[in-house]
Amino acid sequence: MRTLRASRGPRRLAVIAIASLLVAGCTSTGSTPSPAPTAAPTPTSPPVATTSIVPTGSPSPAANPAAKCGTYQGPATTITYAIWGDTTELANQQKIVDAFTAKNPSIKVKVTVADWDTYWDKLQTSLAGGNAPDVFVMDGPLFPDYQTRDQLLDLNPLIARDGFDTGQLADLGVKDFTAPDGHLYGLPRDLSTVALYYNKKMFDQAGIPYPDDSWTWDKLVEVATKLTKTSGGATQWGFYTETTDMENYWSSLVWQAGGDILSPDKKTVVIDTDQAAAGLQFLQDLIYKYKVMAQPVPGGAAGDLFENGQAAMEANGSWLVPTHEAAGIDFGVAPLPRGPAGQATSVNPSGVVVYKGTKSPEAAWEFVKCYTGPDMQAMVASLKASMPANKQTLADIYATSFDGGKTFAGALAYAHLKPSFRGYNEFTTALQDELDSNVFNDNKLTAKAALDEVTPTLKGLLGK
Amino acid sequence: MTTLPGVRAARTASPDRPRSHRGPRTGEARWALLFLGPTLIGLALLSAGPILATLGISLTSWDMLTPPQFVGLDNYAQLLGDGRFLTALRNTFFYTAVSVPLGLVLALGLAMAVNQQIRGISWIRTMYFLPLVTSATAVALVWLWIYSPTGILNHALGVFGVSPQRWVADPTLAMPSIIAMSIWQGLPVNVIIFLAGLQAIPSEYYDAVSVDGAGRYGRFRYITVPLLTPSIFFTGVLALIGAFQVFDQIYVMANPGKPGGATITLVYFIYESGFRNFHMGLASAAAWILFLIVAVFTILYFRTQNRWVHYK
Repeated sequence: MRTLRASRGPRRLAVIAIASLLVAGCTSTGSTPSPAPTAAPTPTSPPVATTSIVPTGSPSPAANPAAKCGTYQGPATTITYAIWGDTTELANQQKIVDAFTAKNPSIKVKVTVADWDTYWDKLQTSLAGGNAPDVFVMDGPLFPDYQTRDQLLDLNPLIARDGFDTGQLADLGVKDFTAPDGHLYGLPRDLSTVALYYNKKMFDQAGIPYPDDSWTWDKLVEVATKLTKTSGGATQWGFYTETTDMENYWSSLVWQAGGDILSPDKKTVVIDTDQAAAGLQFLQDLIYKYKVMAQPVPGGAAGDLFENGQAAMEANGSWLVPTHEAAGIDFGVAPLPRGPAGQATSVNPSGVVVYKGTKSPEAAWEFVKCYTGPDMQAMVASLKASMPANKQTLADIYATSFDGGKTFAGALAYAHLKPSFRGYNEFTTALQDELDSNVFNDNKLTAKAALDEVTPTLKGLLGK
Repeated sequence: MTTLPGVRAARTASPDRPRSHRGPRTGEARWALLFLGPTLIGLALLSAGPILATLGISLTSWDMLTPPQFVGLDNYAQLLGDGRFLTALRNTFFYTAVSVPLGLVLALGLAMAVNQQIRGISWIRTMYFLPLVTSATAVALVWLWIYSPTGILNHALGVFGVSPQRWVADPTLAMPSIIAMSIWQGLPVNVIIFLAGLQAIPSEYYDAVSVDGAGRYGRFRYITVPLLTPSIFFTGVLALIGAFQVFDQIYVMANPGKPGGATITLVYFIYESGFRNFHMGLASAAAWILFLIVAVFTILYFRTQNRWVHYK
C-alpha cells in the first residue's frame, strides 16, 4: 500500500545512484560530465522568477571560501537527517551523505527513513518532544505549517555570514522556503515539474507526429481520441493521469484556464471562479465526454496505465522518469498542452530544513549548504527522480541527461508553485474528496457545481 | 520454673491470633503487589496518565508545537457540527451494527461445523485459523487484489452475468466490502472461543435431551445455545469494543477515507485531526466521545446479561 500512497506525489526519489559521480562530485564545481547546455531553455532565468530575496554577502560567490562545502571548523559531531521514502531512497541518500562526510570528516550524519505517513507522525511527535532530527526534509506545501509554529531555524544569519549565494538555486524553490518575514527557513533540495509523457511506439504505429510545444487542449483531445481503442482486442487509452492530487495534473489545468486555487496573498479561496472550473471541467470531459481516459480507480488499484503500456500519453511529474524507464517504455516528454490562458505547469520543491532546537546548528547548516551545492546536486541529478535545485546542475547535468530532461527543466519558466499555506492538508483533503466523489471518480456534478458546493467549507478552513 | 523464650513469645503472640493470621496474607498481598508493580506502574504512566491528559487536552486548542490555549467545551461543540466527524460517526455505527452480529453468527456456525470428530479435522481447523496468524497488511493486500476491478471477485461474478463492480472504490460498496474482509479476518478468534465453549458442554446433556425427544434443532436450541451464552457474551463484548475502534483495515485498504470520505471511521478521524491537521484538542475531544459511546454500549450490554446469559 505504501507504494500506492507513494504514487500520489513527487516525493520519492527512486532507483539507481551512480557511484562514479560520487568521485566526480568530490572534485570541483566545474566537473560537468555532460556537454554545456546551450540549447537548454535556460531555467536559470525564468520569466516568473522572483529575484533573490536574501541578501548575499558578496556578488561573487567565488570570493567567499566560507560559502563552499567543507568549511566546518567546529568539534566532531553527529547529526541526524530524516527523510521520507523507501529503502532505495535510503540507499540513494546514504550515498549523498557519504559524499558529504568525505568533505567534512568531523561530521557524521545518521540518516533515518520512514514512509510518507509515518514520517509526519514521527516528525510531529519528535518536535513536540524536543528531540527532532537536526536536519529533515520538508515538502513545499507543508512548510508554513512548521515555519509558522516556530520549529525551523532561520538560515539568514548563516547565509549572510558565509556569503552563500542563494541565487544559484532555482528561484521558485527559494521563494517556497521564504517565510512572510522574508527570511529563508530552509533551502530547496530538489524540484518536480509536470509535463506530458508520450509513448513513441504508439505514436509511430498510428503515424501521428509527437506532441510538441504548440499543442493545445483541443489538439490533445484530437490525438488522444485517435489513439484510444476501447473496442475489440487489447484496450488502449489515449490519455492517462492521476486525479487524486492537484499536482499530477489538475492544478496545471486550473492555471492554464486562467484560474487559481487561492489568491496571491493566500487569504481568499478563488477556485470557484469560472476559469478554475473550466480547468477541472476539461479533466472530467477527458474521462466522461471524450472518453479518452479510463475512469479513475481510487487507491490506484489499476496502476499507472502509461507505465503498463495501456495508455499513449500521461500528464504527470518528473518523479516518474526512473519508473517509466525501468518499465521499458520508449517515451518522450513534451510540455503540457496549452489552455485558453496559455502555458502553465506545477512545480513543487522539497527542501532541507534545520530544527530550531538542534544542538549542532553549525554542522546542520554545513550539511544544508553542501546539499544544495553543485557537487551533491550532481548526485541528485544522476538519480533522475527529481530535478536538482541548483540552477547550474539543472542546466548542465539534468537537462542533458535524458530525452525529456530539457522539457522538465524548461517547464520552470512557466511553472506555478504548488500552493503552500498553513492548514494545507485539511483544506486539500476537503477539496479533493469533493472532486473525487463528484467530478473524477463519478460525474455526478459538473466541476462548477462541485466547486460551488465545497467552497464554503474551504473558506471556513482557510486560516482556521 | 523457667520458660523458654520461644514459648513465651508464642504465648504473647497468641492473643493476637487474628492479626497474626492476617500476617501471611499481608505478605502475600505484598508479593502480589510487587509482581503486579511493573505492570501497574506501566499502566498508570503509559495508559491512565495519557488518558487523563487527553481529557485536559480536549478542553484546549493545541497543535502540539505551540502552547495550548484553554477553549472550554468548544471542541465538543465544534464536533457536533463537523460534517466529517458526523460522517465518521455514521460509518462507525454502520460498521459495528453489521460486523458484530454477522461476525458472531458466522463464527458460531463455523465453530459448530468444525466441532466434529472426522478424519483430518485438525487440518481443517488449522485452515480456518490461518487468518489469525497472517499479518493484517498482507491480508488487506490480498483482499485489495480480490476487490480490484479486474480481480477474481469480478471474474467470478462475471460468470453469472453480474457486471464488474468497483468494490472498495465505490462509495456505496466500500464499507460493506471492508466489513466482509474484517469479518473474515476476525472469525478465527471467535471460532476458537466458541469451539472451546462447545467442547465444554458435557455430552450427557445432549443424550438426556435426545431421550426427551429433541431433534437437531432442539439440541441446538435447548442445550448448545444456553450453555454457550457465556462465550457469546464474552466474544460479543470484545467484538463490540473492537468494532468501534476499527482503523487498520480502513487505513490500509481504503487509502484513508477514500472514496470521498465514505470509509472514514472515528479512530481515523482522531488520527487525521491530531497528526495531519494539527488539531490535537479536537482529536482528544473526539477520542472522549468515542470512549463515552463505547462505555455506554458496553454498560447497556452488560445490563442485558442477567436476561440471557446462563452460567452453569
